[in-house]
Amino acid sequence: MILFNDISQTVLIILSIGLFISTLEYLKKVQIFSPDGLLSWNVMQLKWTKQDQKSFLKPFFKLFSAPGLAGLFIIRCLLIIGLLFYPLQSTTGWILISLLGASLLLASLVTYYGSDGSDQMSMLIIITLILCNLPVLASGKLRDIGLWFIGLQACLSYAVAGIAKLVSSEWRSGTAIKDVFSTKTYGSKKASLLLQKYPAANRFLCWNVIIMESLFPLCLFLPWEFALIFLIWGFTFHFFTALIMGLNSFFWAFMATYPAIYFINHQMPWHLF
Amino acid sequence: MLSFLLTHLKIMMPKLNPTVIYEFVVTVFLACWFLATILCQFKETKVSWFIRYKIDFFSLIPLWTFFAPHPGKRDYHLLFRDKITDGNYSEWQEMEITEERTIWSWLWNPEKRDKKILSDVVQSLVSSIPSYREKTGSLNLLMFSTPYIIVLHAISQYKKQSQNCFRQFMLAESSGYQKETAPSLILLSVFHQI
Repeated sequence: MILFNDISQTVLIILSIGLFISTLEYLKKVQIFSPDGLLSWNVMQLKWTKQDQKSFLKPFFKLFSAPGLAGLFIIRCLLIIGLLFYPLQSTTGWILISLLGASLLLASLVTYYGSDGSDQMSMLIIITLILCNLPVLASGKLRDIGLWFIGLQACLSYAVAGIAKLVSSEWRSGTAIKDVFSTKTYGSKKASLLLQKYPAANRFLCWNVIIMESLFPLCLFLPWEFALIFLIWGFTFHFFTALIMGLNSFFWAFMATYPAIYFINHQMPWHLF
Repeated sequence: MLSFLLTHLKIMMPKLNPTVIYEFVVTVFLACWFLATILCQFKETKVSWFIRYKIDFFSLIPLWTFFAPHPGKRDYHLLFRDKITDGNYSEWQEMEITEERTIWSWLWNPEKRDKKILSDVVQSLVSSIPSYREKTGSLNLLMFSTPYIIVLHAISQYKKQSQNCFRQFMLAESSGYQKETAPSLILLSVFHQI
């Protein structure tokens, strides 16, 4: 049985919970890959038009059917369960995570439409863990580098999202969240009505997201007790986006990066004060 | 001179073991990945276009600008109708893209997948309309684009009025729960034999 005393392992465990849920969700919706489904391979293969791409994909044609992908998702669930029993740094653990990574990469060829930032963050973490934990060749230093990469990508994601909001007049004027919550795609009727009733709350939420996302990378340089404020904010933010907007997979993918942020913060040779 | 070089090489050799080489290769790879991610946050540059469409086969370079600079504040609607005879059409029927979530959606939300697919496809179609108009002056070539074919494929799965059915689809947008603005038309397709 694995233990939580290793940071890379903790990253993997948190991510695995999200991946397990997300894979079961795909399994429930596997009909979207059938010939009359939205992501039917008959249509999706049109995206890959070049001859070399076609010949590369040919061996996988059977896999990209609904039964093929259902099999792949079941195997993925079993791999995730297997990872509960074999540590990442063991040979078996590494083989399991490599197969998990391969299944994610393969499925990404069909799920070009419908995947989101959480899927990309999950893939990024899994590939980094595979590369940085290769038995025999991977050193402790490389494992640390992998954690730095994951933590820095997380900080980059928040900072980019924050700056992109800062340059947006809709976010600065404090109407963006109300407008997003007003949609049926990402919103909620209750939240939308509440924000229409209290415009000040709307402005507060918009600026709260802009400031905290833009300043998020500071959590690497602040003393840990202050850095923790950003992580608690992040936890709350992702919890509420899951609750109100239904973005449940973002919660797990981004929470998985927090142990890496903790690691970088504690490795940082100096702090701001 | 040669013996001096050989002595130095011998000192260097133990350091260049497979672990060190592997560490170097992976570090360079991760550094390039991080750099490419930074470069690709600027959507419109040639570099980001090249990385995204020529190198990133598996969509590994993320775009982290969630809901910004323009937050998605419109709901898309996909409707279709059949031609029964010339001048005689069926009622418009809406294909459900959006759906209200359940109280468990924060944990378990499989519905988000097909909604997100259609939303992505429709958004991709909507965003490509201006460039097709600009390049060709019409939207005829749009019919050959992957998102258009996916939409056509999706609506063609619904029950047909007759064996030899001609179907047309319409893309529209509305402001969701806010009823301040009226729904508007984005695209009206020609009739396709399905």
